[in-house]
Amino acid sequence: MRPLPLWLKSGRVQTGLVIIFILAVCAIFAPYLAPNDPNEQNLLSILTPPIWADGGDAMFPLGTDSLGRCVLSRLIFGARVALTVAFSASIGAMIIGAFFAHVAGYFGGWVDWLIGRVVEIWLSFPPVILSLILMVGLGTGLRNVVLAIVLVDWTRFCRVLRSEVIVLRRRDYVSAAQLVGFSHWRTITREILPGTLPLLITLMSLEMGVAVIVEAILSFVGMSVGSETAAWGQMIADARQNIYDAPFNLIAPIFAIFFAVFGFNILGDGLRRTLDTRLTQTERT
Amino acid sequence: MAIPSAKNPILSAKNLCVESLGAKESFPVLTDLNFSLEPGKILGLVGESGAGKSMIGRTISQYLPKGFAVTKGTLSFDGEDLVSMAAERRRNLLGRDIAFIPQEPLSGLNPVLTVGQQMKEHLLRIGLAPGEHWRERALKEFEAVHLPHGAALLEKYPHQLSGGMCQRILIAMAFASRPRLLIADEPTTALDVTIQARIVKLIAEMQKRDGTAVIFITHDLRLASQISDEIMVLYAGRPAERGPAKQLFSAPAHPYTRCLQLANPNISGPRRGLFILPERMPGLRVLKELKGCRFASRCPNAIEACTEIEPPLADIGPNHIAACIRTEKTPDIVPPPLAPGREIASTRIHLNGEKLTKAYTTAWSPFARRNAFKAVNSVDFTLGEGEFVGIVGESGSGKSSLARLVVGLDTPTDGRITLAGRDVTANGNAEKAYRREYIQMVFQDPQSALNPRRRIGSIVTQANEASGVHNSTRERMDRAAELLKEIGLPPDAAMRFPSQLSGGQKQRVNIARALCTLPRILVADEIVSGLDVSVQAQLLDLLLKLRDEHGFSMLFISHDLSVVRYLCDRVMVMYRGEVVESGRTETVFANPQHAYTRSLLAAVPPDDVNAEWSPVLAEAGYQVE
Repeated sequence: MRPLPLWLKSGRVQTGLVIIFILAVCAIFAPYLAPNDPNEQNLLSILTPPIWADGGDAMFPLGTDSLGRCVLSRLIFGARVALTVAFSASIGAMIIGAFFAHVAGYFGGWVDWLIGRVVEIWLSFPPVILSLILMVGLGTGLRNVVLAIVLVDWTRFCRVLRSEVIVLRRRDYVSAAQLVGFSHWRTITREILPGTLPLLITLMSLEMGVAVIVEAILSFVGMSVGSETAAWGQMIADARQNIYDAPFNLIAPIFAIFFAVFGFNILGDGLRRTLDTRLTQTERT
Repeated sequence: MAIPSAKNPILSAKNLCVESLGAKESFPVLTDLNFSLEPGKILGLVGESGAGKSMIGRTISQYLPKGFAVTKGTLSFDGEDLVSMAAERRRNLLGRDIAFIPQEPLSGLNPVLTVGQQMKEHLLRIGLAPGEHWRERALKEFEAVHLPHGAALLEKYPHQLSGGMCQRILIAMAFASRPRLLIADEPTTALDVTIQARIVKLIAEMQKRDGTAVIFITHDLRLASQISDEIMVLYAGRPAERGPAKQLFSAPAHPYTRCLQLANPNISGPRRGLFILPERMPGLRVLKELKGCRFASRCPNAIEACTEIEPPLADIGPNHIAACIRTEKTPDIVPPPLAPGREIASTRIHLNGEKLTKAYTTAWSPFARRNAFKAVNSVDFTLGEGEFVGIVGESGSGKSSLARLVVGLDTPTDGRITLAGRDVTANGNAEKAYRREYIQMVFQDPQSALNPRRRIGSIVTQANEASGVHNSTRERMDRAAELLKEIGLPPDAAMRFPSQLSGGQKQRVNIARALCTLPRILVADEIVSGLDVSVQAQLLDLLLKLRDEHGFSMLFISHDLSVVRYLCDRVMVMYRGEVVESGRTETVFANPQHAYTRSLLAAVPPDDVNAEWSPVLAEAGYQVE
């Protein structure tokens, strides 16, 4: 058997991957894992406490909300929205950001200047307000949430990657590739991209954490998926009214968000430590 | 072994051993080091990289890498043992009684503090005379190292100064405390040859003023023999030879010293061949297992007995010891005969530049005017078939910019380039494709020139990938195997990554990539700088061998005049973007016409240890730094 690659040996990466794996299983097998339909209202048993508290009901392990919906089931189904947004938004932002970063860093000159200024103007808007405005314009729905996050967050990739591309662009091996006749496209994909890839992957896993938070904020203010789909931010918003009667309704989705973001961040940190060529061996361990 | 009983050595090492202690096993890094250094004397430490030269400096400051420790012997400074000394006491000595001059002048200074702030901090630490202001003192110290405009200098940041000036400031700081011992670790390696001469002379002058003992670490035996009183040649962590500088250089007893000397091309007299030291110094792991002489595997004089027992350091003359059992055979080592001078058969001109000019401008922005700077100014040159032309000059003289114009990485702002009869000045796609057939470049820094994420086999056959011809995996692997054989690397190197090769091997790969499509012209930009002399000799030999096989011509850019003299048929001397002198190598070196060429030549330490080394320290009309 081949030895594990260095990045897989890192405890941080392993922790992150396990957390993301658990969430992914929840999301994919939600209909089988959830004890109840997440939207079914049991008006006879509203605000039931979790199973271990007095008056808990075995049917609702984490209790019910003010409309009598099962908190655990909503939590499990909520992972679907969170993970879909996390993966598609970060991939989308990565593709757009990385494209402009490589174009700007590789060609330089006025192209670089123009892209740099666009990014600066873009970054001057408060990101949450910008995504809210976009949601108003685009209308609610999962696809539009992803689109809003992509349009806001591509700048983050563009900025960080551009400086990395510039560093690699000045390496002699890029000049050498041009001298043997590589086209610009081939030079970027074969010589520069392999060098920026570690940073790209790291940024992407951090971006997934950010996307989960932004989606929660949007659904908290009711600008994300419709009310017929369970989402963690929405659960927090719903639980606000009964914060004193049923605190667990609030704690459960907050913990879910924390768990997911922690997983993505620790994965990103672990990847950064193991893949970043600028760190020395000692800093890694 | 008799150590001369010095009256009061300032620094002495007795049987000093430094080991790298691993979890499972430990490896010797320095073995049986014995020396004593009297006040006012200079000890030159010479050897290839990895010989343990810098480790001695780090042992003195007890700033050893993690896992390294002194396991045996003593190292005493003025009678006190530096190894067992309390950290507090050592801190007081370092920077005051023991001063350091680092290799990289820019990294020796803090980039975010002004020179004045750093000078102040240092002077306050070493203590000022009562009533003395740090500022006056700083100016006094600057004056001593011949730094003009001291007051203005205090306000500057290190990046605003040249490498030579930074090194002068560091020397001023080092001597400010009137140290009793100075450790200079390759203080001139990163500098140009004329600045090297000035810095070395300055260190010698300051050292005489204060009667400081100096350990001068360098890889250049010729330079060490000029300024040192005594030289110790290290090989793989153990002294190979130690003796008075002049005697050691004129009559080396250890074959390694002799080989090092002959691996470096000479600067005066008739050209001679280079002695090629094969392979590399044994690694730590090999050394541990090794029974006999550690140099035996590369030694031309080695016999059976050499591999059986490690030779002791034996007396061979007054104060002169060497670790070899056959010292009497050392003078028999002679350089191979010089490759017969080829007559250039045809006078066809491959490459021709007329009034080439390149002005660089600042980055594009609509809000700022672009400033232009002429890196290459109206340069004329020709390169004939099979000819090697050297371009020499200091950094900033426009050598590399000219190379970029020639290979087509930059487009000239003015002038004309003709390549094999066709005008390629415009440098459009058609010209680039045409140029590609004829000309390739070998880059300076093998670290930066090889993509760390490609395998060697893929790097050397990149040209096939670009053209799409012979681009199947099979064909590429076959071509890679051929190329690796030509440049003298084992065939299994094709599957390795650049990080798994040594510096010299990387530079060979760099050459192989340029040779892949068999270009008619190679442009080589400082390809042997920063390499050990033994590796340098191997590469120069390889280039000559490849020329015999393929008959290409070459533009060879270097700041090392002796290398250019050895390799090139003609030479061009560049100064501030202009060619100030050019001609046949022998003529230019024997009878330089331009003042700048003369000052460059005078800055090289002479081959003859008894000849006077008188570099031009400041040339009228040519600004020093």
